[in-house]
Amino acid sequence: MSAAQASAGTTMAPEVVETDSLHQIPLGKVAIWWFLASEIMVFGGLITSYLLMMFAHGGFAEQAVHVKWKLGALNTLVLLTSSMTMILALASARKKDLEKTRMFLGITVLLGLTFLVIKIFFEYIPEIGEGFTPASGMFWSFYFGMTGLHGVHVFGGIVANFCLFVYTMRKVDWSLLERRVEYAGLYWHFVDVVWIFLFPLLYLT
Amino acid sequence: MSEAVAGEHTRDESSLYVMIWGWLIFLLIAGLAIFVLPISKALAAFLIFSIAAVKAALVIRNYMHLKHEHLLIYLIVLIPLLFFFGFMMTLIPDIVYRHAMGM
Repeated sequence: MSAAQASAGTTMAPEVVETDSLHQIPLGKVAIWWFLASEIMVFGGLITSYLLMMFAHGGFAEQAVHVKWKLGALNTLVLLTSSMTMILALASARKKDLEKTRMFLGITVLLGLTFLVIKIFFEYIPEIGEGFTPASGMFWSFYFGMTGLHGVHVFGGIVANFCLFVYTMRKVDWSLLERRVEYAGLYWHFVDVVWIFLFPLLYLT
Repeated sequence: MSEAVAGEHTRDESSLYVMIWGWLIFLLIAGLAIFVLPISKALAAFLIFSIAAVKAALVIRNYMHLKHEHLLIYLIVLIPLLFFFGFMMTLIPDIVYRHAMGM
């Protein structure tokens, strides 16, 4: 409040700083990268454990023969395409093209759901029906654990992207939308990068 | 004029993203081709994971825009990766040695 305002007896709401920054990086961006760093530790730990157990105990190759690698490849295609549509949503938000932003967010949500449908209905359920459960052996424990945890992350990303999709149904604050699409995109691309390594680890080698 | 330039820039960005996607699909197919080829398992694993690393780098640098980011962001990403590799490199030789010795 300025001295003039104080003497006039008027009050103003305190100025709201829209974004704080750290080294000119918006705090929201630092926060999402920090969160992704913690996720690197989670998935990195699981991958390290898998590799150690594979070397220590062996027998993983015989068990891994039963995974459905063609469906895994299809899911990889789905997730890579969803990464493209997510970044195109950000590009559209930067151009202030609401319809395209909404369209690309919607496609990303649909592709994410496609990934989960393939995973659950065409892989997990048939595999369990064939007698392969998390208790069937160490490989299957890791397979269900790692892909299941990844699937939970995909679901979280779907929820976030759907919320953004709904937000685009009305008048938007462009700077807010652009930031949120960027941060949701960073999370979504990370989930894709994790799958880029999980797919060859569990399905191809 | 500046709006036209900005529009051109974002059109170039979109074309880049689609091109990156094309490369990702090509690398996916290449990885699958290596998987079905009759080559040694060790060589196949090395090539498949090398391809995976290239795919991850394309996504991280272009879709996550890491190539434009501040050093702080690189450090936030790099430090847990170093931990992860450190744990692996520390434990794997011991485990492999014990397995080879039949312990």
